[in-house]
Amino acid sequence: MNPYILTILLFAMGLGTTITFASSHWLLAWMGLEINTLAILPLMCQSHHPRAVEATIKYFLTQATAAAMLLFASITNAWITGQWNLEFMSYSLPTTLVTVALALKIGLAPLHAWMPEVLQGLDLTTGLILSTWQKLAPFCLLLQINPSNTSLLLILGLASTLVGGWGGLNQNQLRKILAYSSIAHLGWMILVLQFFPSLTLLTLLMYFVMTFSLFISFKVNNSTTINSLSMSWSKAPIISSMVPFILLSLGGLPPLSGFMPKWLILQELTKQSLAPLATLAALSALLSLYFYLRISYAMTLTMSPNILLNALPWRLPSNQHTLPLAITTSLTICLLPLTPAIITLLTL
Amino acid sequence: MMYMMYFLLFGLVLGLAAVASNPSPYFAALGLVVVAGIGCGVLIWHGGSFLSLILFLIYLGGMLVVFAYSAALAAEPYPEGWGSWPVLGLMLGYLLGVVSVGMLFSSSMYDESWMVCDEFGEFYFVRGDMEGVATLYSSGGFMLAMGVWVLLVTLFVVLELTRGMSRGTLRAV
Repeated sequence: MNPYILTILLFAMGLGTTITFASSHWLLAWMGLEINTLAILPLMCQSHHPRAVEATIKYFLTQATAAAMLLFASITNAWITGQWNLEFMSYSLPTTLVTVALALKIGLAPLHAWMPEVLQGLDLTTGLILSTWQKLAPFCLLLQINPSNTSLLLILGLASTLVGGWGGLNQNQLRKILAYSSIAHLGWMILVLQFFPSLTLLTLLMYFVMTFSLFISFKVNNSTTINSLSMSWSKAPIISSMVPFILLSLGGLPPLSGFMPKWLILQELTKQSLAPLATLAALSALLSLYFYLRISYAMTLTMSPNILLNALPWRLPSNQHTLPLAITTSLTICLLPLTPAIITLLTL
Repeated sequence: MMYMMYFLLFGLVLGLAAVASNPSPYFAALGLVVVAGIGCGVLIWHGGSFLSLILFLIYLGGMLVVFAYSAALAAEPYPEGWGSWPVLGLMLGYLLGVVSVGMLFSSSMYDESWMVCDEFGEFYFVRGDMEGVATLYSSGGFMLAMGVWVLLVTLFVVLELTRGMSRGTLRAV
């Protein structure tokens, strides 16, 4: 793509998120979300491949529907209460509608169906931007509104963790697995939103770090299926040895840093007398763990049968920038002991 | 002056019947041009001058022009107009229907105005929701700049999405 156009589009993406972050008026928040949607569309169909175009159209339709619902809810709120402020929504209809609209924006179950298909049509870098940056603005709005109904967010959260677990079980395409993993993690974030919003932010940031390292590891291997990961031990042995840790961190196993958000969320849910819900959420994390283990099994734990020539590829110096991968992999593995400091930082 | 209003409204109904009865988009859009122009005239007569100007600019100058270009691309080789008997019959049928329903429900049409005003003693002042556009240009200057930038980005996005000749996404033209 023309570098000037790329600059303008990336700038517009930053601008959209910034506008939503800085807004207290619903129209401005909606405007930021629309700018984000608009600017990522050409990035998504860069390759001009029909599959990419299909993913772009699906993304556009769902995001436009969500934005229209958001606008409708905010105008209904302005009609009833006479003011446009984000934080002072007190009636249940607009608040519920806003929650459902934002759930469609980020891909929570049962409004998740677009996510695997859209991610499957994109290349790994654009998929990464979609999974991480595009979630920031809706979460900023979700953190600011007063939830109208306790059970709505809990149902969205639990359904997302279950759907994210069960949906990813039968996949061998890595991007679909990443989509379902995203849905599951978003479910965990939403579960604790109304009780301890700082944990939502913590889970979001931890998820960004973990999924960034996973996406970039897959990109370095240039693989989009589990089968093509099986020879990564010969192409990039260090990355192959680190990826199981990233995957187990995504699965939420101690002593890796992915355990931190799940642990704190389970503790908070138990404190709110929601122990059965906490148990169900923890059990649903087992489903996700199964397909993370399957990826690490194919990638690192086993060596698939192959001819000798493929086991000895030329290890030429790579042009890929692997410093971000190194940083985020270290953070994904080693951040658990810093839990008290991180909690203090986010609760300020 | 009532005579002119009578003519405007007559042309409005005729244009609407033309829009409804023509199967070809060219003649239907022509009827729409006439209807929009006459509708703007009726609006001015009731006091909504700014609204009428905006309607003319945006509807005719923006949307209808785009429609005309798209209709020109998807060409119809043999468009049917009022020259063919089925279309003319449909048009006369619509006119008859409108006239009969209008005579059923006719009431006075000099009750309301399109211009919203507030009274305060003997002062009349215009309301915020009618003069919001002027506010956009004065105290809302930053948002105006933002809106301009976003429109420019939209232009770039649309151009990037519809690049032609096999680099394009939507159409290989």
